[in-house]
Amino acid sequence: MISLSSVSKRFDGKRQVIALDAVNLHLEKGEMVSLVGPSGSGKSTLLNLIGGLDRPSEGDIRIDGTLLRGISDDELTRIRRDKIGFIFQFFNLLPTLSCLENVSLPLHLRGWPAAKINDRARELLSLVKLEKRLDHLPEELSGGERQRVAIARALSVYPPILLADEPTGNLDSNTGVEILGLIRELHERLGATVLIVTHDRGVAESCPRQIALKDGHIVMDKKG
Amino acid sequence: MRLLRLISWQYVRKHLLRTVLTMAGIVLGVAVFVGMHTANQSVLSAFNKTVDRIAGATQLQITAGESGFDEEVLERVQAVPGVRVAVPVIEAVVNLNLKSQGNILVLAVDMTGDRGLRDYDLEEGDDTVIEDPLVFIAQPDSLMVTREFASANGLVINSKITLAAMDGPRTFTVRGIMKSSGLTSAFGGNLAIMDIYAAQKVFGRGRKFDRIDLAANEGVAVPDLQKQLSGMLGAGYEVESPSARGKQFESLSSVYGMLANITSLFALFIGMFIIYNSFAIAVTQRRSEIGIVRALGATRGQIQTLFLTESAILGLIGAGVGLLFGLLIARAISASLGNFLGEIYGVAQKADEVSSDPRLLFGALVMGVVTSVIAAWIPARAAAGVDPVQALQKGRYQQLSAGENRVRRQVAAGLFVVVFFCLFFAQNRVIFYSGYFLTVIAGLLLVPTMALWLSRAIRPVLKFLRPVEGTLAADSLIQSPRRTSGAVSALALSIALVISLGGMARASYNSIDEWMRIALNPDMFLTPTQNITDRSFRFPASFAEEIRQIPGVKYTQVVRNARILYKGNPVMFVSLDVANLRPESYLPAIQGDSKTMYRLAAEGKGFIVSDNFAELYKVKYNEPLVLNTPNGRLALPVVGIVRDYSDQKGSVLLDRAVFVKYWNDDSINAVRVYLNSDTPIATMKARIEEKVAGKTRLFIFTNQDLKTYIIKITDQWFGLTYIQLAVAVLVAILGIINTLTVSITDRRRELGVLQAVGALRSQVRGTIWLEAIAIGVIGLVVGLFFGSVALYYSLEMSARDIAGLWLDYTYPWGMAAGLFPVILGAALFAALGPAEQAVRGGLVEALEYE
Repeated sequence: MISLSSVSKRFDGKRQVIALDAVNLHLEKGEMVSLVGPSGSGKSTLLNLIGGLDRPSEGDIRIDGTLLRGISDDELTRIRRDKIGFIFQFFNLLPTLSCLENVSLPLHLRGWPAAKINDRARELLSLVKLEKRLDHLPEELSGGERQRVAIARALSVYPPILLADEPTGNLDSNTGVEILGLIRELHERLGATVLIVTHDRGVAESCPRQIALKDGHIVMDKKG
Repeated sequence: MRLLRLISWQYVRKHLLRTVLTMAGIVLGVAVFVGMHTANQSVLSAFNKTVDRIAGATQLQITAGESGFDEEVLERVQAVPGVRVAVPVIEAVVNLNLKSQGNILVLAVDMTGDRGLRDYDLEEGDDTVIEDPLVFIAQPDSLMVTREFASANGLVINSKITLAAMDGPRTFTVRGIMKSSGLTSAFGGNLAIMDIYAAQKVFGRGRKFDRIDLAANEGVAVPDLQKQLSGMLGAGYEVESPSARGKQFESLSSVYGMLANITSLFALFIGMFIIYNSFAIAVTQRRSEIGIVRALGATRGQIQTLFLTESAILGLIGAGVGLLFGLLIARAISASLGNFLGEIYGVAQKADEVSSDPRLLFGALVMGVVTSVIAAWIPARAAAGVDPVQALQKGRYQQLSAGENRVRRQVAAGLFVVVFFCLFFAQNRVIFYSGYFLTVIAGLLLVPTMALWLSRAIRPVLKFLRPVEGTLAADSLIQSPRRTSGAVSALALSIALVISLGGMARASYNSIDEWMRIALNPDMFLTPTQNITDRSFRFPASFAEEIRQIPGVKYTQVVRNARILYKGNPVMFVSLDVANLRPESYLPAIQGDSKTMYRLAAEGKGFIVSDNFAELYKVKYNEPLVLNTPNGRLALPVVGIVRDYSDQKGSVLLDRAVFVKYWNDDSINAVRVYLNSDTPIATMKARIEEKVAGKTRLFIFTNQDLKTYIIKITDQWFGLTYIQLAVAVLVAILGIINTLTVSITDRRRELGVLQAVGALRSQVRGTIWLEAIAIGVIGLVVGLFFGSVALYYSLEMSARDIAGLWLDYTYPWGMAAGLFPVILGAALFAALGPAEQAVRGGLVEALEYE
């Protein structure tokens, strides 16, 4: 489902920083993987590259068989919206839109008919147990609720890949557990490939496969 | 200074584009101010230079308005002790149809004495023509031209120039080419010298002169001589120094000056809003920075001074750039202004160079700085009031609190009550203008509320059109009323100005159309000049009778127009054979009964004045109007006030017999010809041309020709509307670019999220475009509403202080509709750059942006 071959990422500034150095990685369809490492190890960079938010300096990335190298920004966006769902640490909900509108957003961008969008968004909010908060604005929700809206948004088209960047990082521990449970439940129900970047050892160990990064290299890849 | 370097400079470097756009507000205001005023000054200065150069050693000039005076006046003046030299002059602007630029100023002099005042330095030709004046007089076909004119037209000694004179085409011979000197550079070098007695025939002056130029004997005080001559000649003669003519010219172009002031003040006011908006946004965005500096020990005063110094520097640079742009556009404006004054007032003048008054430039510079500082005052105070603790807590949007908005609404409501009462006492000038000013302030205070309401109102529409892009665009506006209202205010002010000018134009066209139907009802107009405003040539009195005898002519009316000084201002006097006027030609009466006023005027018992003359000179119906004429004091009552658009400075209609008697002038400017209904115009034209062929200088205008000409002049006058429109479009572009640049910075994360969840670049662009269009629509709606109020005040101002004309209130719906595509197009254009900026940034940085 996800394949990285000798992927490097360098940031050129006054001083060159190598965030990832010739990383090779393969994730099967339906896997649930955690990605750990200290700050600056390259985890978020790796997640951004896989999610098509950034491009590698070297190497190839394939998503569901499609090579990302050389494709246009719009093609990259199409891959992102059809195959990848994002869950961010700071939720990144649009503050002026209601829960229903936030979840509907990716569907509108795909040009779905309004009635179908409405049905799907309600279905997703019901899936994350927010069916009673449809018209609430993000600022009217708790942190956990906001993250659940963000998860519902990430699942809007039931993408085959779910990328989560510190999904519990901005939540208290109880809510974190609740959200992680929700992600795991959805993974089992929907069969998506899930990659979670985390600092939390508990979160990492709850995933069937754990990868550790250090100084831009994979230093551990453990299954089971 | 250190704070400035450490903090402000870094911010400017980081937001260079925004700084430039902010400055553009001042550049625009100062450029329009400098451009329009420099153009006006250049034309005035060129006129003054021409007067000065032609005057030579002249110390006093005697005139009696355009009608001129008899030759015997010269003898009386020459006989006055203390007069060293007094010479007659005829001055005319003529189109010679030569290949070079249009008109030439013909100065007709009596060479016998004229060399005592002017220096004719010939570089080529027979010196005897001026060495011995008799040679010049003996050869009345002599013409002297300047070196510049000769070179431009390929003229050499003995070249022939044919001039359509009043007594038929006459060929002149170039007998002298003058060296480049002070005199020859008058009127851009397009100058010719002719013998005055030949000129009397050429220009149809009879035995009259236009002017006497004189110099006093040594030891004689010029003011004393001036008093003596005035006393001797009577009040109908003006005895003035040559420079006084400049003042008269200035009074003619004063309407333009007033409009230039209004336009540039508006431009600066609009610039002030752009600056206020930018600083208000900058303060919000730099809250945390201000908080840190405050926490580190900076005082409130230091913070306020920091922002005010920033604004002063910005204002200074903006004003400097504005000066340069202003001087650049002044050249183009002065060219069209010169033509325009020529067309309207018949006083052709062109500015060869842009002459800029250092005081004006310095004033503009100060104005730019002061405007900038005033605009930044409130944001600077807000910055000084920032609480360090709160400032260090980050907030995403700068929201205008409901409380702040409520206070603005309450103040606006209070001001509107004051404005309402001002309307009852609007006769008082100060109260009227205070009311206008307060209306503008109240309107501006309401802009944030109006912008918010309108943003909410258009959200469903935008959402319906584009569910994602439209919703986000509307939300962006709703969430940042301060950001939105700055751009909307600037745009609305600009549009209001366009609407008020457009409305005035509309009203003027409607009124002029109606006036033309009544006043210009003859089938043909015969004139000795190429346009109706030029009065250099005149027909003899007998000419009309010749025309009347042509088969097909039903009847004729003769017209003698002359600009005559009334209270020091050149006013248009129209003399007609009033008894011969048909009732269908009676102008609509404002005061007095039509039949009675025309009957009394025909009997020589009164003047009929235009409404603008009555308004400008505070002349009352039935009260006497006292004029000083060459033949003494003429006091007649104003027997009627009529609606007349003959002249912007007002007109006075009087019977021809009265004019001839008091001004000793029976010449004619135009003959109005009414035809028998069965005679085709073309046939009549041919018959008239045949009758006068080779005998007199003649131009025939059909009714339609004249109407087209008047509409053309009116178009030129309201050409200013297009400058306003250009300013409005520029403001729309500047304001919207500024707002969108800030908007995409504020919404960087939001736009990043949008792309992360699948928005294509085109969709992101779409939301920025829609935001721009929404700002444009809101600005238009508010501006069109403001325009309806501004139009009322403009019409009042026009009537009270500019042209004295009361025009009907006509909202320019067509123009309002036309503004939609123009402003929305400009908005879309303004959004192109920011939209590209929005999609070009890195997604990862955008998502992490706080």
